[in-house]
Amino acid sequence: MPKSTLTDEFIEPFLLATVHVLNVQAQVEAKPGKTQPKQASQVMSCDVSGVIAVISEKYSGSMIICFPEKTFLKIVSSMLGETYSEVNKDILDGAGELTNMIFGQAKIVLNQNGHTIQTALPTVVSGKNHDLSANGKGASVVIPFESQAGNFFLELGISEAA
Amino acid sequence: MFDLKTKVLVVDDMLTMRKTVIKMMKEWGYTDIHEAKDGEEAWTKTQEGGFGLIISDWNMPNLSGLEFLKKVRSDATFAKLPFVLVTAEAEPQFVAEAIRVGVDQYVVKPFTKESLRMKLESAYKKCSMRMSA
Repeated sequence: MPKSTLTDEFIEPFLLATVHVLNVQAQVEAKPGKTQPKQASQVMSCDVSGVIAVISEKYSGSMIICFPEKTFLKIVSSMLGETYSEVNKDILDGAGELTNMIFGQAKIVLNQNGHTIQTALPTVVSGKNHDLSANGKGASVVIPFESQAGNFFLELGISEAA
Repeated sequence: MFDLKTKVLVVDDMLTMRKTVIKMMKEWGYTDIHEAKDGEEAWTKTQEGGFGLIISDWNMPNLSGLEFLKKVRSDATFAKLPFVLVTAEAEPQFVAEAIRVGVDQYVVKPFTKESLRMKLESAYKKCSMRMSA
């Protein structure tokens, strides 16, 4: 069985990037909880999500940041310095931008450590209680975060190349 | 620093990021701020003329910030136009490529209002030296 890419060494840059990006860009202090393997039956209940491909020569997968609506509204309101009470097209891509920044920061660290993660563009998914999977074929982990804006999740899923 | 009357073009495919940069610029007193959602739209607006500063994202669909910068630098009319790239792509080879193409400053996301101000100040100094050379 090949060694999984989803080691602490791989996960930690995403975790640290999430804390850093939310702190600098949205002035939100996020605290990561325990990283856990995603169970096959586990449903991620998201209202707004940012998704980005995590692809290198050796593996492919994705990173998802999953926000309940209330959390997302508080984070974007803090980012933009304006209060938003409902999710609309003007703020929806905030999830994409946060995803882009977290991915970008993690990618710098991982590529410095010998990975070859490629540039990617994020996409945004919205809709009450939607469920996404970072990786339908291989292993995934879920990292819960707590913050003064509310809870949210980061999911990382990777399939090793054959 | 750039004159507060400078016509500024803010380019990003993410509306929230354009809003973030524009809000910071307005808080400093800039009044003539325009926006574009990708490099293609930005190049069209640039050709209309009058801009004194471009602040552009790198990673955008249609025409990336780097490709937009190449177009600006290869046109004699705009070749000296101050150009700042704002991006999450801070790996050395990306920075080296942007410098080779002629970027004046490089802002790494995420960024604070203060870090953007310092980068703009640095870009201004660099452009002033270039203009007087």
